[in-house]
Amino acid sequence: MMDTLCVVIDLSVKHWQRSATASDQPLSLPAFLIQLVAFLNAYSAGSSDNALAVFAAFPGKSLMLYSSTDTQPQSTTVSGPNSYPPFQLLDDAVVSSIIHHLESLSDSEQEAPCPLVGALTKALCFINRLTLDHNTNTSNAEGLDPIALPDPRVLILSVSPDITSSYIPIMNSIFSAQKLKVTIDACQLSGPDSVFLQQAAHLTGGSYLYLERRDALLQHLTMTFLPSPSVRGAIAVPTQDKVDFRAACFCHKNIVDIGFVCSVCLSIFCQPVPVCSTCRTKFPMKTLQRLNASRPPAQPRPAPIGTNGVSKANGSSYGTPA
Amino acid sequence: MDVDSDSDISIFDDDNENSRNKTKGKGKTTDKRKKDKGKRKPKDQAYTWEANYTRSWETVQEDEAGSLQGAVEDWIARGRRKRHAHCFQSKNSAPSTAIRRTIIRHLVLIIDLSSSMMDRDMRPTRFGLTLQYAREFILEWFDQNPLGQMGVVGMRAGVGERVAEMSGNPQDVLKALSDRHKLEPTGDPSLQNAIEMARNSMNHLPTHSAREILIIFGSLTTCDPGNIHDTLAECIKNRIQISVVALAAEMKICRELCDKTGGQFGVALNEGHYKDLLFELVPPPAQRTVSRATGPGAPNPAADLMMMGFPTRLPDSSPPSLCVCHSDLRSDGFLCPRCLSKVCDVPTDCDVCGLMIVSSPHLARSYHHLFPVKPYVAITTFDNQSSQPDQQACHACARPFPTTVAQSTAEGMSPIGRYRCPECQQDFCSDCDVYIQNHLHCCPGCGK
Ligand SMILES: [Zn+2]
Ligand SMILES: [Zn+2]
Ligand SMILES: [Zn+2]
Ligand SMILES: [Zn+2]
Ligand SMILES: [Zn+2]
Ligand SMILES: [Zn+2]
Repeated sequence: MMDTLCVVIDLSVKHWQRSATASDQPLSLPAFLIQLVAFLNAYSAGSSDNALAVFAAFPGKSLMLYSSTDTQPQSTTVSGPNSYPPFQLLDDAVVSSIIHHLESLSDSEQEAPCPLVGALTKALCFINRLTLDHNTNTSNAEGLDPIALPDPRVLILSVSPDITSSYIPIMNSIFSAQKLKVTIDACQLSGPDSVFLQQAAHLTGGSYLYLERRDALLQHLTMTFLPSPSVRGAIAVPTQDKVDFRAACFCHKNIVDIGFVCSVCLSIFCQPVPVCSTCRTKFPMKTLQRLNASRPPAQPRPAPIGTNGVSKANGSSYGTPA
Repeated sequence: MDVDSDSDISIFDDDNENSRNKTKGKGKTTDKRKKDKGKRKPKDQAYTWEANYTRSWETVQEDEAGSLQGAVEDWIARGRRKRHAHCFQSKNSAPSTAIRRTIIRHLVLIIDLSSSMMDRDMRPTRFGLTLQYAREFILEWFDQNPLGQMGVVGMRAGVGERVAEMSGNPQDVLKALSDRHKLEPTGDPSLQNAIEMARNSMNHLPTHSAREILIIFGSLTTCDPGNIHDTLAECIKNRIQISVVALAAEMKICRELCDKTGGQFGVALNEGHYKDLLFELVPPPAQRTVSRATGPGAPNPAADLMMMGFPTRLPDSSPPSLCVCHSDLRSDGFLCPRCLSKVCDVPTDCDVCGLMIVSSPHLARSYHHLFPVKPYVAITTFDNQSSQPDQQACHACARPFPTTVAQSTAEGMSPIGRYRCPECQQDFCSDCDVYIQNHLHCCPGCGK
């Protein structure tokens, strides 16, 4: 059975440093890469039909590191007598290009955020390309609705917290993933829970896993993310505890659980505003007065991204309006 | 591969590409032109019986090496672009600045079920094709208008017949259309009865929601109990927009219904055009400015600020508790963020505190209408940038770009297969261009 997996790796220098120096179960990038490569090898060993692509989100840019469908430049390193050449090729492509790109970063570039969305959209474009090729090969090139690939999926390995400015692009990616029947799996390796990745996994039928035991990374990867979505019904994969459906407001990019929404364009604001900043619609004075009156006095709520503990406490602080 | 199958594929080609070029720098006139669209018969579109016999084998040419591979690939890519013709078209007719769209929509779909729907001028019959397209339309409509509601009314034997109640769930509406034996066409249609029925099901709605009627009309007659102009006046008063897709020919009353309520009127020329007309009505309409005199800054009575809550979803494994909506004992559900009571499904109003609860993905589905991707520019010649080593493959899917120039390409297409983002200056292949503009709505290069 042909299977397609795109792995998206978050390579934020800043957050990997934080993860490596964490007092509780540190996980460094080299340790992570060793386990990742073992996982990738396990996947490609599963079947020769398995298509694999690896995408990396570096600070400020994203690129494809490896794809099993395109011919790779011949590996320059001499492979040892005990190595299996296809694995060697994959390991070289992934590890050496990660090292190469990270070393070429200047100090200022290292601080830049890593938008996962660039790598995620590339992965979706790549799956779209495979889908089209698949349809051409099966003489369905003219069919209006392309046949979806069997079980395409994207696995996101993230260390950074949510970047709220990428809320809309991430949501757009999720919806087009749904159309391509792509399952998005996500694993948050360290830091706070990711609201966006939770939603992505929930909406596409994937699994979201927060890595509690960082020393058991490889085990988590193989037990949860190696089986394809079609066989997951038969095994017990970790289910999501709670899915947070909060959104980011358009004005301050705060994550809010109660928002004020423009009826024309559905922009979300964290407080009542007289004019919609997106579509320039003016709202009636009466509404503003009513909404301001019904708001509890303790506002605005900065709700730092992803700190779930805080949000829950805040949620209960809302009273029913008199 | 079967090259000679479809003669009607090439029909839409020129129209699409012309409009793609024409709209550049002519943003202001586009609205007007859109309205006129129904009137003129697009010059390069033919009625089904007029369509030319295309000798598709003559358009395929060998390259220098005598191989057909390049030509065939180009041909396939072109076919894919054509199929998305109507998507490009609708995008181009709405300039990217027109972001005022009515997103909370209520639509009643009126389907002609009179005996004239059994005509076979569209395959298999008008009725069969209409049911098929209606189902596709409903799915696509709910996909793009997740907060919308739709009902279906049939016109049969001189009366209006409620086929599906107003519902926010596409499955409810589809179920009503699934049994074709219940919908078997018979008798004469009555526009007035059907419109009155649709109007009555919408006149309780809040002011900020858009009310629309879409009529699929196959007859050339209507038998009405009273004066249909009274009904039309009522619709104008209730701000109901009526659009008509006619399958036979233009009727004066149908055009009047559309023109006076601001809807769109079109006569389907053939099966493909029928679908295009229908699917043009899927994206949320740009909001009609209330009156020219007051200008865009004036308060819009139809606009309002709504307070909404974004819930937390409880998993199936959570301890069961009673929901506030049905008092059922169940594990899964959504927690109202204000009062923490549990409701079964969203979107809904919290039964305890009255807060409107929606999941944020419901809202997010329509954001791509607000922040569209800038159209990519087709690159016509090899330039400095296309010779750089990191620009030899598509920036998104890593497909290598062709190194030769295609011999015959239509306008709006790049002969070297490159489409460039005006923001990040990265090149993308033709397939990715189509995919990004129509589905992804986000540039992989710059994330905008
Ligand atoms: Zn804000
Ligand atoms: Zn707005
Ligand atoms: Zn309930
Ligand atoms: Zn409540
Ligand atoms: Zn771009
Ligand atoms: Zn591409």
